Amino acid sequence: MTTDEATKSEGDAQTAALVEQGEDITPNQDRGVLKIVKRKGNEDASPMIGDKVYVHYKGKLANGKKFDSSRDRNEPFIFSLGKGQVIKAWDVGVATMKKGEICHLLCKPEYAYGSAGSTPKIPSNATLFFEIELLDFKGEDLFEDGGIIRRIKKKGEGYSNPNEGATVEIHLEGFYGDRKFDSRDVKFVVGEGEDHDIPIGIDKALEKMQRGEHCILYLGPRYGFGEAGKPKFGIEANAELAYEVTLKRFEKAKESWEMDTKEKLEQAAIVKEKGTVYFKDGKYMQAVIQYGKIVSWLEMEYGLSERESKASESFLLAAFLNLAMCYLKLREYTKAVECCDKALGLDQDNEKGLYRRGEARLLMNEFELAKCDFQRVLEVNPQNKAAKSQITVCQKKTKEHNERDRRIYANMFKKFAERDAKEEASRNPGEKDVEKATSEKRLKTPVTEGKEAEGHV
Amino acid sequence: MAIDELQAIVQRCQILEEENFRAEDFNLFQVAGQKCLEEGYAAQLLEVIQNEKNKVIVKNMGWNLVCPLVRCILSYKQEDDKRERCLKILDQLVQLSNPKELLLGLLEQIEQTPGEQISETIMLLLQPLQTVILKLHGKKSYSVGLSLSTILNQLSLLPVPYTKDQIQEDKLHLCQCCNAVVDFTKPFVDEVVKNMKTSESGERELKEELLKFCLKSLKYPLLTAQLDQLEDIEEHPLRHFAAEIIGILSDIGEFTPAVFSHGSHSQNWDNHEFLDIDRNDSVDSLACLSYLVFVQYIGIDCFPMIFSPSYLLQCNLLHVEVLLKRTEESILAKGLDLFESCLLRMDNNSLLHQFLEFRNFITASQDLVKVMTLCPIEDLRKKSLNVLQLYIDKFDTEGKYTLFRCLLKTSNHAGVEGYVIQNIKNQIDLSLKRGQDNKWFTGHQLVSLLDEVFCLPEGAETDLLQSSDRIMAALNLLRYLVIKDNEHDNQTGVWTILTKVTQNFLKPLHTGLNMSKAHYEAEIKNKKENRRESHTSNTVCSVTVSGEKMPNMSAETQLQVLHSALFTFDLIESVLARVEELIEVKIKAVTDENIGVK
Repeated sequence: MTTDEATKSEGDAQTAALVEQGEDITPNQDRGVLKIVKRKGNEDASPMIGDKVYVHYKGKLANGKKFDSSRDRNEPFIFSLGKGQVIKAWDVGVATMKKGEICHLLCKPEYAYGSAGSTPKIPSNATLFFEIELLDFKGEDLFEDGGIIRRIKKKGEGYSNPNEGATVEIHLEGFYGDRKFDSRDVKFVVGEGEDHDIPIGIDKALEKMQRGEHCILYLGPRYGFGEAGKPKFGIEANAELAYEVTLKRFEKAKESWEMDTKEKLEQAAIVKEKGTVYFKDGKYMQAVIQYGKIVSWLEMEYGLSERESKASESFLLAAFLNLAMCYLKLREYTKAVECCDKALGLDQDNEKGLYRRGEARLLMNEFELAKCDFQRVLEVNPQNKAAKSQITVCQKKTKEHNERDRRIYANMFKKFAERDAKEEASRNPGEKDVEKATSEKRLKTPVTEGKEAEGHV
Repeated sequence: MAIDELQAIVQRCQILEEENFRAEDFNLFQVAGQKCLEEGYAAQLLEVIQNEKNKVIVKNMGWNLVCPLVRCILSYKQEDDKRERCLKILDQLVQLSNPKELLLGLLEQIEQTPGEQISETIMLLLQPLQTVILKLHGKKSYSVGLSLSTILNQLSLLPVPYTKDQIQEDKLHLCQCCNAVVDFTKPFVDEVVKNMKTSESGERELKEELLKFCLKSLKYPLLTAQLDQLEDIEEHPLRHFAAEIIGILSDIGEFTPAVFSHGSHSQNWDNHEFLDIDRNDSVDSLACLSYLVFVQYIGIDCFPMIFSPSYLLQCNLLHVEVLLKRTEESILAKGLDLFESCLLRMDNNSLLHQFLEFRNFITASQDLVKVMTLCPIEDLRKKSLNVLQLYIDKFDTEGKYTLFRCLLKTSNHAGVEGYVIQNIKNQIDLSLKRGQDNKWFTGHQLVSLLDEVFCLPEGAETDLLQSSDRIMAALNLLRYLVIKDNEHDNQTGVWTILTKVTQNFLKPLHTGLNMSKAHYEAEIKNKKENRRESHTSNTVCSVTVSGEKMPNMSAETQLQVLHSALFTFDLIESVLARVEELIEVKIKAVTDENIGVK
């Protein structure tokens, strides 16, 4: 018997077993996907819709010919379950598997590549055989920072999502540990959930949900109630929360291109006010959303009258300056610098713009650049005491930095030559420590920050 | 004599420690060495270099000879002894010189080479370059990256062979050179692969450089290249190159992520180096990669065969969009091929209308319209129309409906609109025949679509000649509806809107036709009289196209054009008359019947 024949007869046996004993796992019970468990899973949990699923698999045609195998590629195959990324048979089949399970699936063409097939590997109207091993799965990490994990209980309809500023009607239930602290129907504007005691993570997650979706959201502290906690709900600082949310309906906010200049300017005044309220309350992420709207509406607006363009410019300047302040607070210094750059693009001698850029650069360990900024502040306003003291800080830091460099290079010169690679490796962590130390120190002694924060609007 | 000069400087330097070499020594050495080569003393030069006593000198100064050496080698013929000797010198330099400086010397040489010799120089220096880099201990990834980008930058100055003859001739050795560059990368790829197995993270940088190289190669030469299989060529050199590039991507584990790295779809492959590469810079490359995989099936064996066809379409539409925005024939053709190949993987009516909620599913259709109406190349216009039809066929009924509505509103082209109306007619026909699933192409949904069809945008003043395709299609549809659907059933709803259609469409069309005909007839009469009066053509204005004056239309052609316009009006009028007649008969029949009942 040739190997071809051997694989064929093995394939025939597997197919026959599936046809005889396989369980029909299709929702319509049309025998489109038949399944046999070959090895039971080691845990009872099954993946949910939207979960990131890790599998190894092998696929064969009816004639026993292997058309694909993840093991040949030496890497597991990863996809999002239940989102139509893979053939129907898989969305149906993998959802029934337990972690660690190995199963066989027999898939009718209607649940695979249909009458069209998929050139060059899958012929028309092909029934496919798969062996799948479910290695692992995890909830969808919405922003790839581990801050919001979503697990979908019921899939929503279509593909459109609420945008920032959309009006949503949701049902939510909030859990802190085992305790349910919140349960209600609520209607609000995405980005302004805070007004209804809803944490920012829900706002952010809603932008990725569809009408009718029902999901569980696991929020890290940054996306929950943060350092302040929420005494009203008995939630302490830095708590991790879980929410069950159903998006009942929503109405999208107008996109920038749907608004005319007049409307944009009117709205800009409103959102600027909202942003300032959030800022004063220490809700920096919420403030960023509001100020960000001004930028998205007005930054690329052309053909304004003279009066309009003046108004627009002043809104933009305020928005960039306030965004810079928010990003400083959120410790996103690169973004803070970007915003200052844009503000200074509109008004090159802006005192706050220069000062904040200096602050951001100082925190990024760019002492020389920071010093230049503070010196420019003094050129604009010689009375600025804060800037004066910042210059001293810069000088001190530069000195410290130079000394460290000197130590490092002194060592280096001794060994010179090919050692530089190693030296670099030992230098990098050192640099990070210092950065951390400075930022911590700055947090403990907020010299002029508090005062600065108010004066900007 | 040059060789004496060289001996002199060498002897002086032999007694010096290397840190005591002066700048002018370097200079003298280079000048003397160059002279030796030019005057044919290569053998003597080789002796000097091989001399053990001169080791330190060669180590420090050797790289200065690269430039004259390469010039000599390229000037000699293939079998010349002198060439052999020069090659030996180069070999010695690679062995003996300080690798850091030699690397820069070699790259400088590659950069300086003028057009026709680019490939030759690169092929000559690849081997030395590889040896030198392998000798370097630190900064290897940087050197590999620098070398590859220098080489590709130089190569990109060369035109990519396009026709079969050009590819076979490979006059500037571009194809040959590309494949040689792949060989150059082999040891570095192996190194990355080896380290991936032992999961050493140190090679991340090297991997990134190789990834950059692959992406750059996809953009040039592959994006503009003609990559279909050619008859009588056993192995298409650029296809071979493409396969090698995909081989590298796959070896370094970046293949699958690269194909899907666009937009949010990358989230499946986390922690990937890929994110470090500027996406905006690589959109063309990634589009080309998709084309290679899905149209040319290069590397498809390494690609998971488990994705749903609609997901593949969704991902690839982003690439298609990039390609269709371009104007180069080869790139547009790739865009259309890629679009087509994704559609051919789907069953008819299987694409859910919800996908139209993604903006790029709408813009894709508009991009196709742009190609079919504006592209100067006929084949591509035709192909684009075929792909549009295929796209329409794949959507479910509601999707088709939405797409038609959108195309009628946005295409601004009577031909396209006429084509869409024809499609609407086919869908109505299917709906009436099937008698089920007809929510969208019967009844009140259809009525609102028909509103878009039966209208003259500017009333009686509409330019009928310009919109003739659209008007004819609309009249044909109306005729079809009136014949197929009788007033009793009124399945399509056409009888409900008939008054409105008459008012907004048929009447102004009548008026418009009368006006236009009168105008053109007068014009013809004018022309004829003019011709009788004088044979000298006095032109009112001239037309220039890209700076060149178009020849004036002769009076004869002008007349022909006018007549053909009149003919079009007659055609419209006859169909219009037929439609009105049909309506009248049907209405009369119904009224008669009603009277009879009474």
